[in-house]
Amino acid sequence: MLGIDDPQIWLAYILCFVSAIGCIIYGALKWNDDSGEGEVAK
Amino acid sequence: MTLSTPVLGIIILIYLLVIFYLGWLGYKNTKETEDYMVAGRKIHPYILALSYGATFISTSAIIGFGGAAGALGMGLLWLAFMNIFVGIFIAFVVFGSKTRRMGVNLNAVTFPELIGRRFQSRFIQGFSGALIGVFMPLYAGIVLIGGARFLESTLSINYDVAVLILTVIVAAYVITGGLIAVMYTDALQGTLMFIGMVFLLVFTYAKMGGVTAAHSALTAMNDLVPESLAAGGHLGWTSMPAFGSPIWWTLVSTLVLGVGIGVIAQPQLAVRFMTVKNDKALNRAVLVGGPFILMMTGVAFTVGALSNAYFYNTVGKISVVVAGGNTDLIMPEFINSAMPDTFVVLFMLTLLAAAMSTLSSQFHTMGTSIGHDFYREYLKKGELGQTINITKIAIAGTILASVVLAYILPISIIARATAIFFGLCAAAFLPMYAGALFWKRMTKEGAIASLLVGTFSSLFWLAFVHKSEAVPLGISKAIFGVDTILTGTWTVVDPILVATPLAIVIAIVVSLMTKPTPQEHLEVCFKK
Repeated sequence: MLGIDDPQIWLAYILCFVSAIGCIIYGALKWNDDSGEGEVAK
Repeated sequence: MTLSTPVLGIIILIYLLVIFYLGWLGYKNTKETEDYMVAGRKIHPYILALSYGATFISTSAIIGFGGAAGALGMGLLWLAFMNIFVGIFIAFVVFGSKTRRMGVNLNAVTFPELIGRRFQSRFIQGFSGALIGVFMPLYAGIVLIGGARFLESTLSINYDVAVLILTVIVAAYVITGGLIAVMYTDALQGTLMFIGMVFLLVFTYAKMGGVTAAHSALTAMNDLVPESLAAGGHLGWTSMPAFGSPIWWTLVSTLVLGVGIGVIAQPQLAVRFMTVKNDKALNRAVLVGGPFILMMTGVAFTVGALSNAYFYNTVGKISVVVAGGNTDLIMPEFINSAMPDTFVVLFMLTLLAAAMSTLSSQFHTMGTSIGHDFYREYLKKGELGQTINITKIAIAGTILASVVLAYILPISIIARATAIFFGLCAAAFLPMYAGALFWKRMTKEGAIASLLVGTFSSLFWLAFVHKSEAVPLGISKAIFGVDTILTGTWTVVDPILVATPLAIVIAIVVSLMTKPTPQEHLEVCFKK
């Protein structure tokens, strides 16, 4: 896959993208999530 | 990298002017201790994400580890994956929100203070502070050397002058502007790093005919692996090393696990979770942080490995040979010969930004560890009200220590500094930090035992067993007359795999044997 024969390598390559995209999706879904938060008590 | 055009000088000058402006903003906005130590707990998520990422990724992550990928191949992408998944996602979502909340509940302004107050122990705070103050100058020393070598070669100035200039500039804004200045400048530096790495990736793939074509060219070179590397288990640049071989152990235990997991217990990174006002900011930072790290280590490791195919096509040699056996030169050699001149200028700025952003956070953390955690809270029992001033003096002192270390230690030890520091932090702090946040039954005694066992077993393994450090340190040789007291595979197993599990077991056993923490204190710690 992608010119790489060893599945252990192309898996890592794909996982890098999947995890980065996962971070984007997580951040977007939780963008305005106010649950369970405590503001700084001044 | 010699490119002493006036253009480069002007660009660096503009860059420094902006840095000073941001440092001044930090100075102006610093009024209370909390501002200086944790940026007033109101940092913007974008700034948090870039500051975390830019601090995490130093010049050595791009040049040193990129070069390691040039030698060892794309197996390092597992580390890139760990950097994103563990270093960003797990760190922010699992550790970050708990750290932030407990930091507010206990009014903690540093990482050692958070743990110390959670376990009601000034010893934990003082010992952790001292540990950071003693060992972080090593890690800062290597970043300082990298940044100074960069200034030396690009501006054609004397190396000693370069060390002085870099130290004075970074010290000026860290000492006056505290963590606000550090994080503002980090955000600018992170942005520059991101742009530089995007260009590097696009140019590299474009130059080699596309993604699949580039990888295929590298796969086709499997039989060109030099004899010495092949004997260690190297099977090609697009293959994992042979399971259980020395190269496999180095790759998996030191690089992927050591650096990949060690990041969670890095004090200069963990303190950043306490700089935002709510969990929403941490979640938003994940959105920026994930792609940022992908573009840093993901790109550096891919390009580092692909440089083999580029050099083989152009000069008929593999990267390690082109770099004369020094893997640190693989990335600079590749950038100089494969990239357009304008990009070389941009990339130099990327590297300077990477060095300065890591350095500034190291200076701040070393200073607060010694000045606040060790001196004020431990030695003076929290008496003095002059936290900021003492911290400033401590920052200056630890910076001096870093500079001195950068001069007196042999390069073979300095080169291992990042791994030593990451491994030590993982063993000493990780079990205690995780317990503090997630295991209410963990006791003060359990935490102290795990801190001491983690620290000393890690140092013992470094000095007497793990070949990469034990040989250059020479302590084992001096005492026992042998390079390492164990032989075979043990000498390539990273300290993190031995010391961290040991510290975890000790933490659990001692905690279960001692009196639980009073319920009232736990309620304060875990208050929503």
